Amino acid sequence: MAARVLQQCVRSFARPSLRLCSNNLALRVTAAPAAAVHRPLSFAADSRRTRWLVQSRIPSVGVLCRQYGDLPPLTLETIKERVMYVLKLYDKINPEKLQTSSHFMKDLGLDSLDQVEIIMAMEDEFGFEIPDAEAEKLMTPEEIVQYVADKKDVYE
Amino acid sequence: MTVSRLPSAALSLKQFLHRQKVLGIYRNMLRTIRRVPDEADRKFLRDWARDEFHRNKNVTHEDAIRMMITQASNHLEELQKSLALAHS
Repeated sequence: MAARVLQQCVRSFARPSLRLCSNNLALRVTAAPAAAVHRPLSFAADSRRTRWLVQSRIPSVGVLCRQYGDLPPLTLETIKERVMYVLKLYDKINPEKLQTSSHFMKDLGLDSLDQVEIIMAMEDEFGFEIPDAEAEKLMTPEEIVQYVADKKDVYE
Repeated sequence: MTVSRLPSAALSLKQFLHRQKVLGIYRNMLRTIRRVPDEADRKFLRDWARDEFHRNKNVTHEDAIRMMITQASNHLEELQKSLALAHS
């Protein structure tokens, strides 16, 4: 119970400065000693947690120091560059044949499974999820660029 | 005689639904695998899923496809369960 209250406090404290994974790290780091004090009986779980705590102490410092919001603003040009870069790294695409207007299936000879993989790679690259219904329609690099630009509010 | 306006290569409704299902499972699978914490495991699982789907992409027998869809959803469920356990 006390651990939960503490977690709540830490969560509200940590939210403005930390995000997603660092938030979680900080939570666990502070929650573990509290658990050790209040639940001396569950020995196995606690020792596992403390071991984990020791391991995570060093990387968590790096996470806490990380700066956000430092990316250069997206433009159509940079989006296009990144899309093409991801596509060139994809092993089934021949980089020489690749053009902004080439159709994945008709021109590059890929199948629908490859297209799914490409869309997932784009999600990884730009850090947001593309819903299934829209993912199916993205068939050329141009369309992907346009879609990402729309989602990220980038206009010429 | 009525002439179908569809091209002869068009999928039947059933095939189309199967196709959607397979692609959906594939997408879910890749999304789930992305949450695996260890880099080496992630790569291994991604390659595994990729190989399996690509190896069976030319299967046309309907029952076989249905069986593989079930199998894939079982695998996916299992993976999600173990991931949930690992994260808790």
